[in-house]
Amino acid sequence: MKIPRVLNRRNRILLKELVKTDFKLRYQGSVLGYLWALLRPLMMFAILYIVFAKLLRIGGDIPHYAVYLLTGTVMWSFFTECTSQGIQAIVIRGDLLRKISFPKYIVVVSATLTAVVNMLINLIVIVFFALINGVTPTWTWLLVPISLIELYTLSLGIAFLLGAINVKYRDITSIWDVFIQAFFYAVPIIYPISMVASVNEFAAKILLLNPVAQAIQDIRFNLITKETITMWNFLGNPYVMIVPIAIILLVLGFGAIVFRRKSKYFAEEV
Amino acid sequence: MSRRPIGSRVEINDETNDIAISVKNLHKSFRLPTERSFGLKQAIFNRLRGIKGYKEQKVLKGLNFDIKKGEFVGIVGRNGSGKSTLLKILAGIYYPEKGEITINGNLVPFIELGVGFNPELTGRENVYMNGALLGFSNEEMDKMYDEIWKFAELEQFQDQKLKNYSSGMQVRLAFSIAIRARGDILLLDEVLAVGDAAFQEKCNEYFASLHGSQTVILVTHSMENVKKFCDRAILIEDGKIKDEGDPKKVADEYIKLWKQG
Repeated sequence: MKIPRVLNRRNRILLKELVKTDFKLRYQGSVLGYLWALLRPLMMFAILYIVFAKLLRIGGDIPHYAVYLLTGTVMWSFFTECTSQGIQAIVIRGDLLRKISFPKYIVVVSATLTAVVNMLINLIVIVFFALINGVTPTWTWLLVPISLIELYTLSLGIAFLLGAINVKYRDITSIWDVFIQAFFYAVPIIYPISMVASVNEFAAKILLLNPVAQAIQDIRFNLITKETITMWNFLGNPYVMIVPIAIILLVLGFGAIVFRRKSKYFAEEV
Repeated sequence: MSRRPIGSRVEINDETNDIAISVKNLHKSFRLPTERSFGLKQAIFNRLRGIKGYKEQKVLKGLNFDIKKGEFVGIVGRNGSGKSTLLKILAGIYYPEKGEITINGNLVPFIELGVGFNPELTGRENVYMNGALLGFSNEEMDKMYDEIWKFAELEQFQDQKLKNYSSGMQVRLAFSIAIRARGDILLLDEVLAVGDAAFQEKCNEYFASLHGSQTVILVTHSMENVKKFCDRAILIEDGKIKDEGDPKKVADEYIKLWKQG
């Protein structure tokens, strides 16, 4: 018995075509088309910037706070888009699953890759704004992809795990929507982590062990300003620093196992 | 949750073996939700009260058959007899619950024409999408692109959205893509009856051309087609093989069954 290769030729072709159509369909019928991929996070950024930086005056001591904020919102949008699209992918593509046999994970991966494409476009905007803002490029920019891979791996793990359960229990979609709204406030995006640290240092340390927070802070540190508080320069205990990576790997591993087991019945249950 | 036992479906590529498909003691049942058992609330409720929330329905009850390379085999049976389930298991869409299936060679299934067709995309975009599902790369599709449209006789509609096609036009386009797919074994479900009379004629020519060289499994209700194309036919009734062999004999048996009601 031969073991099928994970991404053989047919699966690669399919993946590419699915991502392409996803992208096309998303912005179809809108006047500005693909521009929305850029405009959405920019508008969210504008709102947050006006409310938090200008009206509430948070983050005054962080250099390049506008870009700092933009980076946070773009990465957060990436995480939310990646997970919610990924979770729904199997149900949305149910029609396909019922009629043709192919590895089911392709559907999830294609949904998340659409989010990746969006994020990469936005990353270009961030770099553009950073340069305008007077951020000087450093070699640490090269470290940014590591954090992006972290974020993506975590999202994929969540998408596999919850997406597999969502086939039978559609409540997952709604639960995740609510959860992610709450989770937003547990990640230092609109508020600087130093604000938490000044009140309760332990709480700030716990917040930084969340892989999403850790990755976003790392990106800010490497891309924008070395004055960013990251897990690495704040936590002290090197052993605890394994926690975010461990969470990511656990979620992906567990997600992959559950998905693999349940995927046998997707075609019947979806 | 208790796991259902899993049968096996193995794909091999053995040129010395002249059996294309071997099915041994195939069983399949479905869990049909009884009350509304979707959603978390109902699931928890059911579990607390010890309700299963589904009913087991046996669809296939121990099928055994072999299909030789180059054979054109028709599978017939009334609605609900289990023939479509069988086809989906052969295609790898459903998992066999019990039994062994061996597929020798590359199998291309057409459970339905135009899988992945999206009404919001243009004809052109849909052709590439559908092609990708059949395993064709963009470059390969480029090469056969014009031919597909010519065969479908729809050249002037290439850049219109699929939602503006009539259903007959959609099926014609789908069929024209489908017949480009080359596999060792073709699985066809009720796809013969497409388009108008002239297009049907074209389709029939295509099927006739497959005869003798290609391994084909055809699930159909048309006894005329069974007699015309098939070397052998299998009649399935209530999840079991009721009759097997000469297409004329099996077709008559089917008609008898159908008349009994």
